[in-house]
Amino acid sequence: MFHLKRNPAYMSLYKLICIGFLYEVPDMDSLPVGLAGKGELYFNGGMSVLKVVDLKKSYRTGFFLTSTEVLKGVSFELEPGTITGFLGGNGAGKTTTMKCLLGLCFPDSGQIEYFGKPGMSSEVKSKIGFLPERPYFYDYLTGEEFLLFYGQLSTNLSRSALKSRISDLLKRVDLSHAKSRLLRGYSKGMLQKVGLAQALIHDPEFVILDEPMSGLDPDGRHSMAQLIEETARQGRSVFFSSHLLHDAQQLCKNLVILAGGQVVYEGATESFLLDMDSGIEVTCFSNGKLERHNFQNNEGVQNFLRTALNEGKVVQAVQPVRRSLEQAFVDKALRAGDRS
Amino acid sequence: MKSTLVISLNTFREIIRDRILYGLVVFAILLISVSMLLGQLSFAEQIRISMNLGLTAIHLGTVVLSVFVGSTLVTKEIDKKTIMTILARPISRTQFILGKALGLSLVNLVVMSGLSVVLAGVLYFLGADLKPIFLLALVGILLEGMLLLGITLLFSTFSTSIMVVTFTMGVFLIGHWLESMQFFAEKSETVSFIFFQQLISRVFPDLEVFNWRAHAVYSDRVSAEEITYAGLYAFGWFILTIVLTSLIMRKKDFA
Ligand SMILES: Nc1ncnc2c1ncn2[C@@H]1O[C@H](COP(=O)(O)OP(=O)(O)OP(=O)(O)O)[C@@H](O)[C@H]1O
Ligand SMILES: [Mg+2]
Repeated sequence: MFHLKRNPAYMSLYKLICIGFLYEVPDMDSLPVGLAGKGELYFNGGMSVLKVVDLKKSYRTGFFLTSTEVLKGVSFELEPGTITGFLGGNGAGKTTTMKCLLGLCFPDSGQIEYFGKPGMSSEVKSKIGFLPERPYFYDYLTGEEFLLFYGQLSTNLSRSALKSRISDLLKRVDLSHAKSRLLRGYSKGMLQKVGLAQALIHDPEFVILDEPMSGLDPDGRHSMAQLIEETARQGRSVFFSSHLLHDAQQLCKNLVILAGGQVVYEGATESFLLDMDSGIEVTCFSNGKLERHNFQNNEGVQNFLRTALNEGKVVQAVQPVRRSLEQAFVDKALRAGDRS
Repeated sequence: MKSTLVISLNTFREIIRDRILYGLVVFAILLISVSMLLGQLSFAEQIRISMNLGLTAIHLGTVVLSVFVGSTLVTKEIDKKTIMTILARPISRTQFILGKALGLSLVNLVVMSGLSVVLAGVLYFLGADLKPIFLLALVGILLEGMLLLGITLLFSTFSTSIMVVTFTMGVFLIGHWLESMQFFAEKSETVSFIFFQQLISRVFPDLEVFNWRAHAVYSDRVSAEEITYAGLYAFGWFILTIVLTSLIMRKKDFA
Protein backbone atom coordinates (compact mmCIF):
# COMPACT_ATOMS: atom_id res chain seq x y z
CA MET A 1 0.00 0.00 0.00
CA PHE A 2 1.04 3.48 0.73
CA HIS A 3 4.35 4.59 2.22
CA LEU A 4 5.21 8.13 3.15
CA LYS A 5 8.36 8.67 1.15
CA ARG A 6 10.93 10.54 3.13
CA ASN A 7 13.82 9.74 0.84
CA PRO A 8 16.59 12.16 -0.17
CA ALA A 9 15.18 12.64 -3.65
CA TYR A 10 12.18 14.49 -2.30
CA MET A 11 14.23 16.58 0.07
CA SER A 12 16.37 17.78 -2.80
CA LEU A 13 13.21 18.49 -4.76
CA TYR A 14 11.92 20.79 -2.05
CA LYS A 15 15.32 22.45 -1.71
CA LEU A 16 15.25 23.15 -5.40
CA ILE A 17 11.84 24.70 -5.02
CA CYS A 18 13.12 26.96 -2.28
CA ILE A 19 16.09 28.00 -4.38
CA GLY A 20 13.65 28.67 -7.17
CA PHE A 21 11.64 30.90 -4.90
CA LEU A 22 14.67 32.82 -3.75
CA TYR A 23 15.61 33.36 -7.32
CA GLU A 24 12.10 34.45 -8.11
CA VAL A 25 11.61 37.02 -5.41
CA PRO A 26 13.90 39.75 -6.76
CA ASP A 27 11.93 39.85 -9.96
CA MET A 28 13.06 42.12 -12.73
CA ASP A 29 9.80 43.99 -12.37
CA SER A 30 10.24 44.79 -8.72
CA LEU A 31 13.49 46.64 -9.27
CA PRO A 32 13.08 50.20 -8.09
CA VAL A 33 12.70 52.83 -10.69
CA GLY A 34 12.38 56.19 -9.08
CA LEU A 35 10.35 57.75 -11.80
CA ALA A 36 8.36 60.82 -11.09
CA GLY A 37 4.65 60.90 -11.73
CA LYS A 38 3.07 61.33 -15.10
CA GLY A 39 3.01 64.68 -16.77
CA GLU A 40 6.33 65.81 -15.44
CA LEU A 41 8.07 64.06 -18.26
CA TYR A 42 6.51 66.12 -20.97
CA PHE A 43 7.97 69.32 -19.73
CA ASN A 44 11.43 68.51 -18.54
CA GLY A 45 13.10 69.60 -21.70
CA GLY A 46 16.46 68.10 -22.36
CA MET A 47 15.79 64.74 -20.80
CA SER A 48 15.38 62.24 -23.59
CA VAL A 49 12.57 59.73 -23.74
CA LEU A 50 14.88 57.04 -24.91
CA LYS A 51 18.60 56.78 -25.21
CA VAL A 52 20.26 53.84 -26.86
CA VAL A 53 24.01 53.38 -26.59
CA ASP A 54 26.05 50.98 -28.68
CA LEU A 55 23.44 48.25 -29.01
CA LYS A 56 24.82 45.01 -30.42
CA LYS A 57 22.92 41.88 -31.27
CA SER A 58 23.87 38.71 -33.10
CA TYR A 59 21.69 35.83 -34.13
CA ARG A 60 22.94 32.29 -34.40
CA THR A 61 21.40 30.55 -37.36
CA GLY A 62 21.77 27.49 -39.49
CA PHE A 63 23.05 24.05 -38.70
CA PHE A 64 26.45 25.20 -37.50
CA LEU A 65 24.94 28.09 -35.54
CA THR A 66 27.05 30.61 -37.34
CA SER A 67 26.64 33.98 -35.75
CA THR A 68 25.50 36.97 -37.79
CA GLU A 69 25.73 40.41 -36.31
CA VAL A 70 22.43 42.13 -36.97
CA LEU A 71 22.96 45.25 -34.87
CA LYS A 72 26.51 46.57 -34.99
CA GLY A 73 26.53 49.19 -32.29
CA VAL A 74 23.33 51.19 -32.70
CA SER A 75 23.17 54.47 -30.79
CA PHE A 76 20.56 57.20 -30.88
CA GLU A 77 18.47 59.41 -28.66
CA LEU A 78 14.85 60.53 -28.94
CA GLU A 79 13.52 63.96 -28.18
CA PRO A 80 10.39 64.05 -26.00
CA GLY A 81 7.08 65.04 -27.51
CA THR A 82 8.13 64.52 -31.10
CA ILE A 83 7.64 62.02 -33.85
CA THR A 84 10.81 60.27 -34.90
CA GLY A 85 10.95 58.13 -38.00
CA PHE A 86 13.02 54.97 -37.98
CA LEU A 87 14.00 54.24 -41.54
CA GLY A 88 15.97 51.50 -43.18
CA GLY A 89 15.73 48.90 -45.88
CA ASN A 90 14.56 45.33 -45.42
CA GLY A 91 16.73 43.55 -42.92
CA ALA A 92 18.42 46.73 -41.70
CA GLY A 93 17.59 45.77 -38.13
CA LYS A 94 14.65 48.03 -37.28
CA THR A 95 12.42 45.32 -35.86
CA THR A 96 15.33 43.78 -33.98
CA THR A 97 16.15 47.14 -32.41
CA MET A 98 12.55 47.62 -31.35
CA LYS A 99 12.38 44.15 -29.81
CA CYS A 100 15.50 44.92 -27.81
CA LEU A 101 13.91 48.18 -26.69
CA LEU A 102 10.89 46.29 -25.39
CA GLY A 103 12.81 43.56 -23.61
CA LEU A 104 11.48 40.92 -26.01
CA CYS A 105 14.97 39.99 -26.97
CA PHE A 106 18.19 40.61 -25.18
CA PRO A 107 21.03 42.56 -26.79
CA ASP A 108 24.54 41.15 -26.51
CA SER A 109 25.80 44.50 -25.29
CA GLY A 110 24.82 48.14 -25.09
CA GLN A 111 22.57 50.25 -22.92
CA ILE A 112 18.96 51.29 -23.14
CA GLU A 113 17.76 54.20 -21.04
CA TYR A 114 14.15 55.24 -20.68
CA PHE A 115 13.24 58.64 -19.27
CA GLY A 116 16.79 59.12 -18.07
CA LYS A 117 17.09 55.87 -16.11
CA PRO A 118 18.78 52.71 -17.29
CA GLY A 119 17.01 49.38 -17.40
CA MET A 120 13.55 48.05 -18.04
CA SER A 121 10.88 47.68 -15.40
CA SER A 122 7.15 47.24 -15.12
CA GLU A 123 6.82 50.91 -14.42
CA VAL A 124 8.63 51.84 -17.61
CA LYS A 125 6.63 49.28 -19.57
CA SER A 126 3.38 50.78 -18.33
CA LYS A 127 4.43 54.03 -20.06
CA ILE A 128 5.16 52.43 -23.39
CA GLY A 129 2.73 51.43 -26.12
CA PHE A 130 3.77 49.00 -28.82
CA LEU A 131 2.33 48.00 -32.18
CA PRO A 132 4.18 45.01 -33.65
CA GLU A 133 5.22 44.67 -37.27
CA ARG A 134 2.44 42.31 -38.17
CA PRO A 135 -0.66 42.40 -36.02
CA TYR A 136 -0.64 39.00 -34.36
CA PHE A 137 -3.45 39.18 -31.87
CA TYR A 138 -5.79 36.80 -30.10
CA ASP A 139 -8.32 36.11 -32.82
CA TYR A 140 -10.85 34.56 -30.45
CA LEU A 141 -11.56 37.91 -28.84
CA THR A 142 -13.87 40.64 -30.06
CA GLY A 143 -12.39 44.07 -30.65
CA GLU A 144 -13.79 45.34 -27.40
CA GLU A 145 -12.70 42.34 -25.33
CA PHE A 146 -9.26 42.58 -26.86
CA LEU A 147 -8.82 46.19 -25.81
CA LEU A 148 -10.27 45.50 -22.38
CA PHE A 149 -7.76 42.69 -21.90
CA TYR A 150 -4.80 44.90 -22.76
CA GLY A 151 -6.22 47.73 -20.70
CA GLN A 152 -6.50 45.49 -17.65
CA LEU A 153 -2.94 44.31 -18.17
CA SER A 154 -1.48 47.75 -18.13
CA THR A 155 -3.63 50.11 -16.08
CA ASN A 156 -5.44 50.12 -12.79
CA LEU A 157 -8.46 51.86 -14.27
CA SER A 158 -11.83 50.46 -13.29
CA ARG A 159 -13.73 48.38 -15.79
CA SER A 160 -16.21 51.14 -16.54
CA ALA A 161 -13.50 53.78 -16.97
CA LEU A 162 -11.70 51.42 -19.32
CA LYS A 163 -14.86 50.78 -21.27
CA SER A 164 -15.48 54.42 -21.91
CA ARG A 165 -11.85 54.86 -22.92
CA ILE A 166 -12.21 51.93 -25.28
CA SER A 167 -15.28 53.33 -26.95
CA ASP A 168 -13.43 56.65 -27.41
CA LEU A 169 -10.46 54.91 -28.94
CA LEU A 170 -12.60 52.75 -31.20
CA LYS A 171 -14.29 55.87 -32.45
CA ARG A 172 -10.93 57.48 -33.10
CA VAL A 173 -9.69 54.55 -35.15
CA ASP A 174 -13.06 54.27 -36.85
CA LEU A 175 -13.89 50.77 -35.66
CA SER A 176 -16.93 51.36 -33.48
CA HIS A 177 -19.04 49.33 -35.85
CA ALA A 178 -16.84 46.25 -35.44
CA LYS A 179 -16.36 46.26 -31.70
CA SER A 180 -18.36 43.09 -31.06
CA ARG A 181 -16.92 41.17 -33.96
CA LEU A 182 -14.21 38.58 -33.38
CA LEU A 183 -10.73 39.67 -34.46
CA ARG A 184 -10.70 36.54 -36.61
CA GLY A 185 -13.08 38.40 -38.90
CA TYR A 186 -11.07 41.62 -39.10
CA SER A 187 -9.29 42.68 -42.29
CA LYS A 188 -5.59 43.46 -42.19
CA GLY A 189 -6.19 47.19 -42.04
CA MET A 190 -8.73 46.77 -39.27
CA LEU A 191 -6.25 44.69 -37.29
CA GLN A 192 -3.65 47.39 -37.78
CA LYS A 193 -6.08 49.98 -36.44
CA VAL A 194 -7.19 47.94 -33.47
CA GLY A 195 -3.50 47.30 -32.88
CA LEU A 196 -2.89 51.03 -32.67
CA ALA A 197 -5.79 51.36 -30.25
CA GLN A 198 -4.18 48.60 -28.19
CA ALA A 199 -0.91 50.53 -28.15
CA LEU A 200 -2.70 53.65 -26.89
CA ILE A 201 -5.13 52.02 -24.46
CA HIS A 202 -3.14 52.91 -21.33
CA ASP A 203 -2.39 56.46 -22.43
CA PRO A 204 1.36 55.81 -22.79
CA GLU A 205 3.98 58.52 -22.83
CA PHE A 206 6.01 56.82 -25.48
CA VAL A 207 4.70 54.85 -28.44
CA ILE A 208 6.74 52.42 -30.52
CA LEU A 209 5.12 51.48 -33.82
CA ASP A 210 6.70 48.95 -36.15
CA GLU A 211 5.57 49.79 -39.69
CA PRO A 212 2.15 51.15 -38.74
CA MET A 213 1.32 52.04 -42.34
CA SER A 214 2.11 48.74 -43.98
CA GLY A 215 -0.84 46.99 -45.53
CA LEU A 216 -3.10 50.01 -45.37
CA ASP A 217 -4.89 51.58 -48.32
CA PRO A 218 -4.31 55.29 -49.04
CA ASP A 219 -7.28 56.24 -46.88
CA GLY A 220 -6.07 54.06 -44.07
CA ARG A 221 -2.57 55.50 -44.35
CA HIS A 222 -3.94 58.98 -44.15
CA SER A 223 -5.98 58.26 -41.05
CA MET A 224 -3.08 56.39 -39.44
CA ALA A 225 -0.88 59.41 -40.11
CA GLN A 226 -3.49 61.64 -38.53
CA LEU A 227 -3.71 59.42 -35.48
CA ILE A 228 0.05 59.47 -35.08
CA GLU A 229 0.10 63.23 -35.39
CA GLU A 230 -2.71 63.58 -32.89
CA THR A 231 -0.85 61.36 -30.43
CA ALA A 232 2.22 63.54 -30.69
CA ARG A 233 0.15 66.68 -30.30
CA GLN A 234 -1.01 65.40 -26.94
CA GLY A 235 2.60 65.47 -25.78
CA ARG A 236 3.44 61.85 -26.45
CA SER A 237 6.63 60.77 -28.14
CA VAL A 238 6.29 58.52 -31.12
CA PHE A 239 8.95 56.32 -32.65
CA PHE A 240 7.85 54.53 -35.78
CA SER A 241 9.57 52.53 -38.45
CA SER A 242 8.45 52.71 -42.02
CA HIS A 243 9.18 51.87 -45.59
CA LEU A 244 6.85 54.57 -46.78
CA LEU A 245 9.34 57.36 -46.79
CA HIS A 246 6.83 59.83 -48.04
CA ASP A 247 4.85 59.49 -44.83
CA ALA A 248 7.95 59.78 -42.71
CA GLN A 249 8.95 62.96 -44.53
CA GLN A 250 5.61 64.54 -43.73
CA LEU A 251 5.20 63.33 -40.18
CA CYS A 252 8.59 63.18 -38.59
CA LYS A 253 10.51 65.99 -37.01
CA ASN A 254 13.52 63.77 -36.58
CA LEU A 255 14.90 60.74 -38.32
CA VAL A 256 17.04 57.81 -37.35
CA ILE A 257 18.24 55.94 -40.41
CA LEU A 258 19.60 52.46 -40.15
CA ALA A 259 21.58 50.59 -42.77
CA GLY A 260 23.19 47.21 -42.27
CA GLY A 261 22.75 47.35 -38.52
CA GLN A 262 24.33 50.79 -38.15
CA VAL A 263 22.88 54.25 -37.73
CA VAL A 264 23.80 56.24 -40.80
CA TYR A 265 21.87 59.36 -39.93
CA GLU A 266 20.38 60.79 -36.77
CA GLY A 267 18.90 64.28 -36.66
CA ALA A 268 16.27 66.60 -38.06
CA THR A 269 14.40 65.56 -41.18
CA GLU A 270 14.81 69.07 -42.56
CA SER A 271 18.59 69.15 -42.34
CA PHE A 272 18.82 65.67 -43.76
CA LEU A 273 16.99 66.89 -46.82
CA LEU A 274 19.12 70.04 -47.03
CA ASP A 275 22.20 67.96 -46.64
CA MET A 276 21.06 66.03 -49.60
CA ASP A 277 20.52 69.08 -51.83
CA SER A 278 22.87 68.50 -54.63
CA GLY A 279 23.16 71.82 -56.32
CA ILE A 280 21.24 73.51 -59.09
CA GLU A 281 20.01 72.14 -62.34
CA VAL A 282 19.69 74.23 -65.48
CA THR A 283 17.51 73.00 -68.32
CA CYS A 284 17.92 74.59 -71.74
CA PHE A 285 17.23 74.08 -75.42
CA SER A 286 20.03 74.21 -77.90
CA ASN A 287 19.70 73.22 -81.57
CA GLY A 288 16.36 71.65 -80.82
CA LYS A 289 17.82 69.37 -78.15
CA LEU A 290 17.03 69.39 -74.45
CA GLU A 291 20.10 69.78 -72.25
CA ARG A 292 20.48 69.43 -68.51
CA HIS A 293 23.42 70.79 -66.57
CA ASN A 294 24.19 70.40 -62.88
CA PHE A 295 26.06 72.95 -60.80
CA GLN A 296 27.30 72.82 -57.26
CA ASN A 297 27.31 76.57 -56.64
CA ASN A 298 25.69 79.79 -57.78
CA GLU A 299 28.81 81.08 -59.53
CA GLY A 300 28.86 78.16 -61.87
CA VAL A 301 25.25 78.78 -62.72
CA GLN A 302 25.88 82.47 -63.41
CA ASN A 303 28.78 81.74 -65.70
CA PHE A 304 26.91 79.07 -67.55
CA LEU A 305 23.84 81.21 -68.01
CA ARG A 306 25.91 84.11 -69.39
CA THR A 307 27.57 81.99 -72.06
CA ALA A 308 24.42 80.02 -72.77
CA LEU A 309 22.44 83.16 -73.45
CA ASN A 310 25.23 84.56 -75.61
CA GLU A 311 25.26 81.35 -77.60
CA GLY A 312 21.55 81.72 -78.19
CA LYS A 313 20.42 78.79 -76.06
CA VAL A 314 16.90 78.93 -74.69
CA VAL A 315 16.97 78.61 -70.90
CA GLN A 316 13.86 76.82 -69.73
CA ALA A 317 14.38 76.32 -66.04
CA VAL A 318 16.81 76.93 -63.23
CA GLN A 319 15.96 74.96 -60.12
CA PRO A 320 17.58 73.58 -56.97
CA VAL A 321 17.87 69.82 -56.99
CA ARG A 322 16.00 68.67 -53.93
CA ARG A 323 15.81 64.97 -53.97
CA SER A 324 13.07 63.19 -52.15
CA LEU A 325 13.79 61.46 -48.90
CA GLU A 326 13.53 58.27 -50.82
CA GLN A 327 16.40 59.07 -53.12
CA ALA A 328 18.46 60.59 -50.34
CA PHE A 329 17.85 57.53 -48.31
CA VAL A 330 18.87 55.17 -51.06
CA ASP A 331 22.07 57.15 -51.55
CA LYS A 332 22.86 57.09 -47.85
CA ALA A 333 22.14 53.40 -47.58
CA LEU A 334 24.21 52.64 -50.67
CA ARG A 335 27.11 54.70 -49.43
CA ALA A 336 26.99 52.95 -46.09
CA GLY A 337 26.92 49.66 -47.91
CA ASP A 338 30.06 50.61 -49.82
CA ARG A 339 31.84 51.55 -46.64
CA SER A 340 31.30 48.27 -44.87
CA MET B 1 -0.86 39.33 -9.10
CA LYS B 2 -3.57 41.19 -10.95
CA SER B 3 -1.82 40.62 -14.28
CA THR B 4 -1.57 36.90 -13.58
CA LEU B 5 -5.29 36.82 -12.94
CA VAL B 6 -6.07 38.79 -16.09
CA ILE B 7 -3.96 36.38 -18.14
CA SER B 8 -5.56 33.34 -16.53
CA LEU B 9 -9.10 34.57 -17.14
CA ASN B 10 -8.24 35.29 -20.75
CA THR B 11 -6.67 31.84 -21.10
CA PHE B 12 -9.84 30.37 -19.66
CA ARG B 13 -11.81 32.21 -22.31
CA GLU B 14 -9.38 31.08 -25.01
CA ILE B 15 -9.85 27.41 -24.16
CA ILE B 16 -13.60 27.69 -23.65
CA ARG B 17 -13.94 29.19 -27.12
CA ASP B 18 -11.87 26.41 -28.68
CA ARG B 19 -13.76 23.54 -30.28
CA ILE B 20 -11.30 20.93 -29.01
CA LEU B 21 -12.78 21.25 -25.57
CA TYR B 22 -16.24 20.28 -26.73
CA GLY B 23 -14.93 17.19 -28.49
CA LEU B 24 -13.37 16.15 -25.24
CA VAL B 25 -16.48 16.81 -23.18
CA VAL B 26 -18.62 14.83 -25.62
CA PHE B 27 -16.13 11.98 -25.43
CA ALA B 28 -16.18 11.94 -21.64
CA ILE B 29 -19.98 12.06 -21.50
CA LEU B 30 -20.13 9.18 -23.98
CA LEU B 31 -17.81 7.17 -21.76
CA ILE B 32 -19.98 7.89 -18.75
CA SER B 33 -23.07 6.74 -20.65
CA VAL B 34 -21.29 3.58 -21.69
CA SER B 35 -20.35 3.02 -18.07
CA MET B 36 -24.00 3.24 -17.19
CA LEU B 37 -24.94 0.73 -19.87
CA LEU B 38 -22.17 -1.65 -18.84
CA GLY B 39 -23.29 -1.29 -15.25
CA GLN B 40 -26.74 -2.47 -16.32
CA LEU B 41 -25.29 -5.74 -17.58
CA SER B 42 -24.18 -7.05 -14.22
CA PHE B 43 -26.67 -6.96 -11.40
CA ALA B 44 -24.36 -7.50 -8.49
CA GLU B 45 -21.63 -4.99 -9.21
CA GLN B 46 -23.69 -2.47 -11.18
CA ILE B 47 -22.87 0.67 -9.21
CA ARG B 48 -19.20 -0.21 -8.73
CA ILE B 49 -18.63 -0.81 -12.41
CA SER B 50 -20.39 2.38 -13.37
CA MET B 51 -18.50 4.45 -10.82
CA ASN B 52 -15.19 2.92 -11.80
CA LEU B 53 -15.68 3.58 -15.49
CA GLY B 54 -17.11 7.02 -14.88
CA LEU B 55 -14.16 8.06 -12.74
CA THR B 56 -11.78 6.64 -15.34
CA ALA B 57 -13.50 8.75 -18.00
CA ILE B 58 -13.07 11.89 -15.90
CA HIS B 59 -9.48 10.94 -15.12
CA LEU B 60 -8.60 10.48 -18.80
CA GLY B 61 -10.47 13.65 -19.78
CA THR B 62 -8.49 15.70 -17.26
CA VAL B 63 -5.18 14.15 -18.29
CA VAL B 64 -5.86 14.72 -21.99
CA LEU B 65 -6.92 18.31 -21.34
CA SER B 66 -3.84 19.03 -19.24
CA VAL B 67 -1.41 17.42 -21.64
CA PHE B 68 -2.86 18.23 -25.06
CA VAL B 69 -4.10 21.74 -24.40
CA GLY B 70 -1.17 22.34 -22.06
CA SER B 71 1.32 21.47 -24.78
CA THR B 72 0.07 24.30 -27.00
CA LEU B 73 -0.61 26.76 -24.21
CA VAL B 74 2.67 28.65 -24.47
CA THR B 75 4.05 27.31 -27.75
CA LYS B 76 1.05 28.65 -29.63
CA GLU B 77 1.64 32.10 -28.18
CA ILE B 78 5.25 31.97 -29.35
CA ASP B 79 4.47 30.52 -32.79
CA LYS B 80 1.65 32.97 -33.46
CA LYS B 81 3.70 35.79 -31.94
CA THR B 82 0.81 36.89 -29.79
CA ILE B 83 3.25 36.77 -26.89
CA MET B 84 5.04 39.89 -28.17
CA THR B 85 2.38 42.42 -27.32
CA ILE B 86 1.68 40.69 -24.01
CA LEU B 87 5.28 40.77 -22.82
CA ALA B 88 5.59 44.38 -23.93
CA ARG B 89 3.07 45.11 -21.17
CA PRO B 90 3.99 45.51 -17.52
CA ILE B 91 4.00 41.78 -16.88
CA SER B 92 6.91 39.47 -16.17
CA ARG B 93 7.43 36.22 -18.01
CA THR B 94 6.89 34.33 -14.76
CA GLN B 95 3.51 35.98 -14.29
CA PHE B 96 2.64 35.11 -17.86
CA ILE B 97 3.46 31.40 -17.42
CA LEU B 98 1.65 31.27 -14.11
CA GLY B 99 -1.40 32.97 -15.62
CA LYS B 100 -1.52 30.50 -18.52
CA ALA B 101 -1.18 27.55 -16.12
CA LEU B 102 -3.88 28.86 -13.79
CA GLY B 103 -6.20 29.48 -16.74
CA LEU B 104 -5.98 25.88 -17.87
CA SER B 105 -6.31 24.64 -14.28
CA LEU B 106 -9.49 26.67 -14.05
CA VAL B 107 -10.82 24.99 -17.20
CA ASN B 108 -9.87 21.64 -15.68
CA LEU B 109 -11.79 22.49 -12.57
CA VAL B 110 -14.89 23.62 -14.43
CA VAL B 111 -14.95 20.74 -16.92
CA MET B 112 -14.37 18.24 -14.17
CA SER B 113 -17.07 19.69 -11.97
CA GLY B 114 -19.49 19.47 -14.88
CA LEU B 115 -18.62 15.87 -15.66
CA SER B 116 -18.73 14.93 -11.99
CA VAL B 117 -22.23 16.30 -11.67
CA VAL B 118 -23.25 14.19 -14.66
CA LEU B 119 -21.60 11.09 -13.18
CA ALA B 120 -23.08 11.72 -9.74
CA GLY B 121 -26.49 12.06 -11.37
CA VAL B 122 -26.05 8.74 -13.16
CA LEU B 123 -24.90 7.01 -9.99
CA TYR B 124 -27.73 8.49 -7.98
CA PHE B 125 -30.13 7.25 -10.64
CA LEU B 126 -28.63 3.77 -10.22
CA GLY B 127 -29.30 4.06 -6.52
CA ALA B 128 -25.76 4.65 -5.27
CA ASP B 129 -25.07 6.09 -1.85
CA LEU B 130 -22.41 8.70 -2.61
CA LYS B 131 -19.84 9.29 0.14
CA PRO B 132 -17.28 12.11 0.59
CA ILE B 133 -14.62 9.73 -0.69
CA PHE B 134 -16.16 10.19 -4.15
CA LEU B 135 -15.29 13.88 -3.96
CA LEU B 136 -11.79 13.01 -2.75
CA ALA B 137 -11.25 10.81 -5.80
CA LEU B 138 -12.09 13.85 -7.95
CA VAL B 139 -9.69 16.06 -6.00
CA GLY B 140 -6.99 13.47 -6.62
CA ILE B 141 -7.65 13.63 -10.36
CA LEU B 142 -7.39 17.41 -10.26
CA LEU B 143 -4.07 17.28 -8.40
CA GLU B 144 -2.68 14.85 -10.94
CA GLY B 145 -3.84 17.10 -13.77
CA MET B 146 -2.05 20.02 -12.16
CA LEU B 147 1.20 18.07 -11.79
CA LEU B 148 1.05 16.90 -15.40
CA LEU B 149 0.33 20.43 -16.60
CA GLY B 150 3.48 21.68 -14.89
CA ILE B 151 5.55 18.99 -16.59
CA THR B 152 3.92 19.73 -19.94
CA LEU B 153 4.77 23.41 -19.65
CA LEU B 154 8.36 22.64 -18.74
CA PHE B 155 8.77 20.32 -21.72
CA SER B 156 7.13 22.83 -24.03
CA THR B 157 9.93 25.33 -23.43
CA PHE B 158 12.36 23.21 -25.40
CA SER B 159 10.34 20.94 -27.65
CA THR B 160 7.59 20.89 -30.25
CA SER B 161 3.98 20.14 -29.31
CA ILE B 162 3.98 16.56 -30.57
CA MET B 163 7.14 15.69 -28.69
CA VAL B 164 5.81 17.38 -25.58
CA VAL B 165 2.66 15.26 -25.70
CA THR B 166 4.76 12.12 -26.22
CA PHE B 167 7.12 12.90 -23.35
CA THR B 168 4.40 13.84 -20.94
CA MET B 169 2.29 10.80 -21.77
CA GLY B 170 5.46 8.79 -21.08
CA VAL B 171 5.73 10.43 -17.68
CA PHE B 172 2.04 9.70 -17.14
CA LEU B 173 2.39 5.98 -17.90
CA ILE B 174 5.60 5.53 -15.91
CA GLY B 175 4.06 7.55 -13.07
CA HIS B 176 1.30 4.97 -12.78
CA TRP B 177 3.65 2.00 -13.07
CA LEU B 178 6.03 3.07 -10.34
CA GLU B 179 4.20 1.33 -7.52
CA SER B 180 3.91 -1.96 -9.40
CA MET B 181 7.57 -1.70 -10.31
CA GLN B 182 8.39 -1.26 -6.66
CA PHE B 183 6.28 -4.28 -5.86
CA PHE B 184 8.27 -6.37 -8.32
CA ALA B 185 11.59 -4.86 -7.27
CA GLU B 186 10.96 -5.93 -3.69
CA LYS B 187 10.52 -9.48 -4.88
CA SER B 188 13.26 -9.35 -7.49
CA GLU B 189 16.86 -10.42 -7.11
CA THR B 190 18.17 -8.90 -10.27
CA VAL B 191 20.49 -6.08 -9.20
CA SER B 192 20.15 -4.15 -12.42
CA PHE B 193 16.36 -4.18 -12.22
CA ILE B 194 16.41 -2.95 -8.63
CA PHE B 195 18.85 -0.21 -9.57
CA PHE B 196 16.70 0.76 -12.54
CA GLN B 197 13.58 0.85 -10.38
CA GLN B 198 15.34 2.99 -7.79
CA LEU B 199 16.52 5.40 -10.45
CA ILE B 200 13.15 5.73 -12.14
CA SER B 201 11.28 6.21 -8.88
CA ARG B 202 13.56 9.06 -7.92
CA VAL B 203 13.23 10.90 -11.23
CA PHE B 204 9.57 10.42 -12.13
CA PRO B 205 6.58 11.58 -10.13
CA ASP B 206 4.51 8.83 -8.55
CA LEU B 207 1.00 9.41 -9.88
CA GLU B 208 -0.63 6.59 -7.90
CA VAL B 209 -0.33 8.92 -4.91
CA PHE B 210 -3.45 10.66 -6.25
CA ASN B 211 -5.36 7.54 -7.14
CA TRP B 212 -8.31 7.31 -4.76
CA ARG B 213 -10.66 5.98 -7.37
CA ALA B 214 -10.57 2.41 -6.07
CA HIS B 215 -11.09 3.77 -2.56
CA ALA B 216 -14.20 5.54 -3.80
CA VAL B 217 -15.53 2.44 -5.53
CA TYR B 218 -15.02 0.23 -2.47
CA SER B 219 -15.73 2.96 0.09
CA ASP B 220 -12.29 2.53 1.67
CA ARG B 221 -10.82 5.06 4.03
CA VAL B 222 -7.93 7.36 3.10
CA SER B 223 -5.84 8.75 5.95
CA ALA B 224 -5.44 12.49 6.45
CA GLU B 225 -1.69 11.96 6.22
CA GLU B 226 -2.00 10.51 2.72
CA ILE B 227 -4.19 13.38 1.60
CA THR B 228 -1.80 16.01 2.96
CA TYR B 229 1.14 14.26 1.40
CA ALA B 230 -0.58 14.06 -1.98
CA GLY B 231 -1.47 17.75 -1.82
CA LEU B 232 2.09 18.80 -0.96
CA TYR B 233 3.45 16.40 -3.55
CA ALA B 234 1.33 17.89 -6.34
CA PHE B 235 2.04 21.49 -5.36
CA GLY B 236 5.74 20.74 -4.92
CA TRP B 237 6.03 19.35 -8.43
CA PHE B 238 3.86 22.10 -9.86
CA ILE B 239 5.93 24.86 -8.29
CA LEU B 240 9.20 23.20 -9.23
CA THR B 241 8.19 22.80 -12.88
CA ILE B 242 6.72 26.30 -13.12
CA VAL B 243 9.84 27.84 -11.58
CA LEU B 244 12.07 25.95 -14.01
CA THR B 245 9.79 26.89 -16.91
CA SER B 246 9.92 30.56 -16.07
CA LEU B 247 13.68 30.46 -15.54
CA ILE B 248 14.02 29.09 -19.07
CA MET B 249 11.50 31.58 -20.44
CA ARG B 250 13.37 34.50 -18.92
CA LYS B 251 16.40 33.78 -21.03
CA LYS B 252 14.44 33.36 -24.24
CA ASP B 253 14.69 35.77 -27.15
CA PHE B 254 11.37 36.36 -28.85
CA ALA B 255 12.46 37.23 -32.33
N1 LIG C 1 15.03 35.29 -35.21
C1 LIG C 1 16.00 35.57 -36.07
N2 LIG C 1 16.96 34.67 -36.32
C2 LIG C 1 17.95 34.92 -37.16
N3 LIG C 1 18.09 36.06 -37.84
C3 LIG C 1 17.16 37.01 -37.66
C4 LIG C 1 16.07 36.82 -36.77
N4 LIG C 1 15.32 37.92 -36.78
C5 LIG C 1 15.90 38.76 -37.65
N5 LIG C 1 17.00 38.22 -38.19
C6 LIG C 1 17.90 38.87 -39.14
O1 LIG C 1 18.20 40.13 -38.66
C7 LIG C 1 18.26 41.06 -39.70
C8 LIG C 1 17.42 42.26 -39.35
O2 LIG C 1 16.09 41.89 -39.26
P1 LIG C 1 14.95 42.91 -38.86
O3 LIG C 1 13.67 42.17 -38.81
O4 LIG C 1 15.37 43.63 -37.65
O5 LIG C 1 14.96 43.90 -40.09
P2 LIG C 1 13.97 45.11 -40.40
O6 LIG C 1 14.81 46.32 -40.52
O7 LIG C 1 12.85 45.14 -39.44
O8 LIG C 1 13.46 44.68 -41.83
P3 LIG C 1 12.01 44.88 -42.48
O9 LIG C 1 11.99 46.27 -42.99
O10 LIG C 1 11.99 43.89 -43.59
O11 LIG C 1 10.99 44.62 -41.45
C9 LIG C 1 17.81 40.35 -40.95
O12 LIG C 1 18.94 40.09 -41.73
C10 LIG C 1 17.22 39.07 -40.47
O13 LIG C 1 17.53 38.03 -41.35
MG1 LIG D 1 10.86 44.95 -39.56
